[in-house]
Amino acid sequence: MLKTLIGRELLDNLMTFRFAAVLLITLLLVVANTVVLIKDYEQRLESYNTSVQTHHKEIQEKETYSAGEVEVDRPPNPLSIFNVGLDKRLGNEIWIAHNNVPTLWEARMNASDNPYLNILSSIDIVFIFEVVLSLMALLFAYDALAGEREQGTLRLVLTHPVRRGHILLAKYISAMLCLLVPLLLSLILAMLLLTTTTTISMGADDFGRIGGIVLTSIAYLSVFYLIGLFISAVTQRTGTALMLAMFVWGALVLVYPNLILAIIRSSDIPEAKAVSAFNEIKQVWDEFDRERKHFLATDAFPGEDPTFNINGMGFFYEHFPENRLTLLYLYNSMMTFGELDEKFEEEVPHAQNYFQYLIPSTINTAERAWLIRKQALEDTLVRKSNMKRTLLKFSPVGMYDAATQAWAGTDLKGVRDFFDAVRHYRQTVIDYFYNKNAFASRKWFAADEGAADWRTLPAFSFKRSGVEINAKRALPDLFLLLTMNLFLFMMIFLVFIKSEV
Amino acid sequence: MWHIAKRELYDNLNSLRFALATVLLLALMLTNAVLYLREHPKRTQAYHNAAAGAIETLASRSTNLYSLATQGPGDLHKAPSPLRFCAEGDEAFLPTHVSGANYGRRIADMTPIWRMFYPQETPNLRNIRPDFTTLDWAFIAGYVLSFIALLFTFDSISGELERGTLRLTLANPIPRHIVLVGKFLGAFISINIPFTVAVLMNLLLISTSDAVQLNAEAWGRLGILYGIVILYTCLFIALGLLISAAVRESGVSLVVLLLIWVSFVVFMPNTLASIGSRTSVPIAYEKFWIQRMQLADAAREAYRDKYGDSQTPPSVHVRGEYVTSEAEEYERFNEAYLKQQIEQGKRARAITRISPTAIVQRLFESFAGTGFERHLQFIENVQRYAREYREFVIDTDRTDPESLHVVGIQEGMSQKPVSPEAIPKFKDALNLNRDFNTAAMDLLLLVLFLVVLVSGAYLAFVRLEI
Repeated sequence: MLKTLIGRELLDNLMTFRFAAVLLITLLLVVANTVVLIKDYEQRLESYNTSVQTHHKEIQEKETYSAGEVEVDRPPNPLSIFNVGLDKRLGNEIWIAHNNVPTLWEARMNASDNPYLNILSSIDIVFIFEVVLSLMALLFAYDALAGEREQGTLRLVLTHPVRRGHILLAKYISAMLCLLVPLLLSLILAMLLLTTTTTISMGADDFGRIGGIVLTSIAYLSVFYLIGLFISAVTQRTGTALMLAMFVWGALVLVYPNLILAIIRSSDIPEAKAVSAFNEIKQVWDEFDRERKHFLATDAFPGEDPTFNINGMGFFYEHFPENRLTLLYLYNSMMTFGELDEKFEEEVPHAQNYFQYLIPSTINTAERAWLIRKQALEDTLVRKSNMKRTLLKFSPVGMYDAATQAWAGTDLKGVRDFFDAVRHYRQTVIDYFYNKNAFASRKWFAADEGAADWRTLPAFSFKRSGVEINAKRALPDLFLLLTMNLFLFMMIFLVFIKSEV
Repeated sequence: MWHIAKRELYDNLNSLRFALATVLLLALMLTNAVLYLREHPKRTQAYHNAAAGAIETLASRSTNLYSLATQGPGDLHKAPSPLRFCAEGDEAFLPTHVSGANYGRRIADMTPIWRMFYPQETPNLRNIRPDFTTLDWAFIAGYVLSFIALLFTFDSISGELERGTLRLTLANPIPRHIVLVGKFLGAFISINIPFTVAVLMNLLLISTSDAVQLNAEAWGRLGILYGIVILYTCLFIALGLLISAAVRESGVSLVVLLLIWVSFVVFMPNTLASIGSRTSVPIAYEKFWIQRMQLADAAREAYRDKYGDSQTPPSVHVRGEYVTSEAEEYERFNEAYLKQQIEQGKRARAITRISPTAIVQRLFESFAGTGFERHLQFIENVQRYAREYREFVIDTDRTDPESLHVVGIQEGMSQKPVSPEAIPKFKDALNLNRDFNTAAMDLLLLVLFLVVLVSGAYLAFVRLEI
């Protein structure tokens, strides 16, 4: 019996104009946008590759260790085609130095960022599904029960020995099968386009992630279908059901995300917590500065001159750059000379002695400041943006977006994985300096007796986290979507069982 | 005709969609006003503080002409528009200031001359926010109102056709176009009632608050914006009538209309913009930076090669020429990059004009004084001020007969103290005439769209077989 019901519903749905129209428009939108997105990805990949090469060349040309600020790049994520998330918007280039533990907040954008077209071009495949398929799900659902009730066919069906639950189930299954057609077809087309380009290489993990995105999309569609079905079950007329469905769609997809983000828009003014953390960090560095000056005053070289009167072809600077918004404060200093006049030969051991003390002390201070900064950043900036994302989840759109971002690895956690790797790499670079005994060596600031050796510096590499990590991050939201499905289905069942025909 | 319009109006006023639309529009407009009243005073306060701070630093630094010539005017801030509740215009992502400062490297014992720095990227701090458009008039009109307009008109002809009432109406001696105009007016009035009420409530809240004062010009602009919304609603009503007449079935006409709406309102602006932005890509920042460094290094090397080894420093004039040309070249380079970025933004914007929603967004931005066009005005103001500032330094130097008139070198410039009042202050201002010029083309396009759709609806309805 269930089979007959499903067959009937399926035919009913497939033969409609709305099915053909939605299929066409989804395919068109997905194909057009995928082509654009692939081009965009290729451009970002190219600029990433040139950037990596430039940075590699730059560091090899540095004559002294002190001048060697290693720069690393974040590769673009190929799955950003599905959900671009934060991949394109957050910094993708960061400098690594002994005096600062790098974070997301210091990262710069190379190439792709242009403040004059910021919001315009953030479209992706998930966004298309978010808008078009949810609309389609509602269009399939609004007359499913109300329409049959109006036409009287529902009464006819119920004269047969069919359970009401079966009718609901048949409607649900057949509609979901119909909705899957545009979803899967457009995904297949997108995948075809992806595999024909040579620049994008996908591994087994990536297919797992895409599978996760498909699963989440199905759950999302199902939520909207069930919302439509619920409206259809509680209303008596199709006209009313349609209007309600459209307004619910507008409220959930269009209005709510904008409304909630507008309400909790945050200013750029730092909170009290951030201010106190910044002062704490500053104190740590002030203490460092006092000790440094004390060292200079008490060492064998008279005076407090940090350059030890050494001068020549090159430069020296020291300052404390700060950014109160991102709690950045550090001691930035560089002394590097290509050639040294012989008259400075007496001062060189003093300088060596100073740097041997200074650099490890800077590293220690940077670590101490990082402990404070890490917690404060987490408590202010990260928490704020996470709160916004949580509030967005009151609409299924927000859940869907968060879950697919997590699958694609373009969410905040995915981007932060890169910065964890960068911090790890910084440790490697510092170890490299220690191994070379760079701080105590003359090559730290002068290249007259041979340039610094960068050949054996380990290269930076970043691998995206495995698919199981993505799954772990996506599952809470997916679970929410599924729970919502279950809840809606139960509600519909209760309403439909009790309704008079 | 009025009879038909009245009948339509009564029909609509009693319907569920009218109630829902009223509630939705009222809620959105009131939230918009409340948020604006919460944010705007803070924003203006921040701007005034920043601008006053900048002027103070400038005054405190201006002990002599040399420090004015080398340190530059400092940060120049963009004034917030009082009409930002009408169009947010991505202001959150645009830079709020430009710096005229001196971060250059010294050469020998010379401090370089100041130059303009334009922010080249949006800080992560802002980009980490989830991206949705903001809740402004442009969004309420562009997205929500157009959606409502379609829901009001999708069945206005096909529905009557299905029920058979259209045949009944046409049995009376009324010309068809009168029926169409009546339907148009009915839908128009019933959509504009909730919208106008919502707008009035919004403006009432804003104008009664002490925190914000709107002047006569702002009210004039609001009037223009209201007119644009009316025009835009007409567009969608005409579209609804056209499809409703052409398709004959309400269910089908709704699907067609929704798909057109989704494509033109939601997707077209974004997709076209990302295609358009690809036609003019600025060079990578990395490359730009390296080129700029090379340029500066080359100038420095050339100077060193010539004068570096000689025991006596070169004459004041030679050194003055070096610092001047270095600063000019550096700034020209910065400006060239800025131009490339702006060009990309322009291209992206130009191509989106196919979508009426994008046109309305642009119109809103230009009349509300926010967004891209406004930012270009700001940059123009800044550049004009930079010229003024430089001329001031040169002119003041000329009035001193003891000076050697070499700008940028300590001993070559006038040593007389400069009074802080005499230094030109930067004032960011909006220019309405320019808005009209940029908007005229967009308005024309919007009218063109309307004419095409109205005549389409007319043809479809006249040829309709009943």
